[in-house]
Amino acid sequence: MARTILEVKGLKKYFPIAAGEQKGKVVRAVDGVDFFIREGETLGLVGESGSGKSTTAYCVIGMYSITDGEISFKGQDISMHSSKRPLSIKKDIGMVFQDPGTTLNPQRSVKQILSLPLSVHKIVDKRDPEEQLLKLLEEVELPAEYLYSYPASLGGGERQMLAIARALATDPSLMVLDEPTSALDVSVQAKIINMLLRLQKERNLAYLFITHDLSLMRNLATRIAIMYLGKIAEIAPTETFFSAPRHPYTQMLLSSIPVMTEDEDALKPKRVVSRGEIPSPVDVPPGCSFNTRCPFVTDGCFEEDPAMREVGTDHWVRCHLFA
Amino acid sequence: MANANDKANCQGTVVKRDKFIQLKRAWYKFSLNKTSVIGLVIVVAVAICAIFQPWLAPYPHHAGEFVDFANVNCPPCKEHWCGTDGVGRDILSRIMYAFRGAFTLGLGCLALVVPFGVVMGLIAGYHKGQWISTFIMRVTDVFLSIPPLIMALCVCAILRPTLFNSLLAVSVSWWTWYCRLVYSMTSSLRNEMYVKSAELTGASTAHILFREILPNCFGAVFTKMTLDMGWIILTGASLGFVGMGEQPPIPSLGTMVADGAKYIPGQWWISICPALAIMIIVLGFNLLGDGVKDMLSSEE
Repeated sequence: MARTILEVKGLKKYFPIAAGEQKGKVVRAVDGVDFFIREGETLGLVGESGSGKSTTAYCVIGMYSITDGEISFKGQDISMHSSKRPLSIKKDIGMVFQDPGTTLNPQRSVKQILSLPLSVHKIVDKRDPEEQLLKLLEEVELPAEYLYSYPASLGGGERQMLAIARALATDPSLMVLDEPTSALDVSVQAKIINMLLRLQKERNLAYLFITHDLSLMRNLATRIAIMYLGKIAEIAPTETFFSAPRHPYTQMLLSSIPVMTEDEDALKPKRVVSRGEIPSPVDVPPGCSFNTRCPFVTDGCFEEDPAMREVGTDHWVRCHLFA
Repeated sequence: MANANDKANCQGTVVKRDKFIQLKRAWYKFSLNKTSVIGLVIVVAVAICAIFQPWLAPYPHHAGEFVDFANVNCPPCKEHWCGTDGVGRDILSRIMYAFRGAFTLGLGCLALVVPFGVVMGLIAGYHKGQWISTFIMRVTDVFLSIPPLIMALCVCAILRPTLFNSLLAVSVSWWTWYCRLVYSMTSSLRNEMYVKSAELTGASTAHILFREILPNCFGAVFTKMTLDMGWIILTGASLGFVGMGEQPPIPSLGTMVADGAKYIPGQWWISICPALAIMIIVLGFNLLGDGVKDMLSSEE
């Protein structure tokens, strides 16, 4: 089995509320998350908005200082803020954000944007720096003549490809992708996803893929983790995840995916109807955080927060039903 | 790959052509507003007068120590379009010579103030919430709390009143405006994802300040520079008016207005003509500044 390259243990990130009615309280954006990623695999981190999936990604890349927990990358502790991380770590973890319109400086040309990671990490090919950049463009299927353009003259999908090229420039082994396709048209989405799959194969990349789109994960992820109110509810290999979901929340999500045909409908778990909305991470319900929406709720769910239990190979569930 | 390289090189020239087209489009946007074109014409005309004054002024030697008692206090006429002053010097010639001083003051002051203020603003804005930012902004507040003219008067009174010293005097308090402008822009731009992503790559603070943030502040700074030229010249003229500017016999607009003030209303032209000159310069730069603002803001 492939080596584990990223390991997150007990990750917590609380944001204090500085002003307003709820001053003094904290937002428990991420509240004790454990997961790991093996070399060359894709972990899909899925959740509703407000579940803390993006916060988890930002903690992994060091954009936020974490409240508690441990993040290690290839055996090296990287729990600190990115400003304190060694350059070698920054070189080895790439990041692609959601909206390519805001992650590319409108005043800098494609050439300048792509040159930055190369010069920072001193991996510029001195003999032919231009060819190095052209190779990068070629890798993400962008035409060479874009080298002197500005982001404004590129389309949304092309900008995201450029952002991916920038992340690839330092030849990382882990890429953190924060909803890389959700701001794009569906036709462009497919192109980007295919490209990401190809790059993964070619370079043995590991992806931490943040998304709210479960059906996208079916073709992309090696394993899927479902987040709910800052905690992982269930984490399972993709096949198991879709064929035998255990956690009531997973079942609820899977049964709410819209389908076209009856065959597809037959595959979905039937019994769980989605109800309610995700509570505020400021007032997390006591006990199991899912007790406000769970159809199988018992008295015990209001008293004790369940722990993660292994129910199969690589299959972990946080629910009292499997105690 | 060599092919792609050639293609990219050839594309380089295409980009240059695109830049030219962009420039043409910017000019078109600018020219849509007729008043800003008038502003540009005024500014260019005054600049030409300032540069080519020895050849354009009708009586170049009147700019220095010159006395012609036969032509004292001559009202505007064919020989002297703006009349002559108390010692018979042609006022139009002296105004044209004063333009150079006014321009030197404006440009010199901006050359000192803009780099300093912008760098201070970048540092303070990027480190907002840290002591260095608080320190810079409190110093700025101290300078802002003193009216610029009073501040300049103090500096000029301590130093000898010359053009260079009034330039220094105006600069002492003027940098604060650029610091504030760039501070407020930087403190919001630093949260942009492209800045975050440069930080995550490991780029140096200098790179982030000058290559990622500064280019995005340039439009606002340039607009303010154009508008400020007029204001600095006006402040310089005020200093001259109270005798703290360039000293006679070198002509300066403020001094000329002050000298003529005692002859009003009888010999009104001695003071009204340089006053009108000040007004035209300030008006020109303000109109131009508005046009530049419209041009740069609509480009985004």
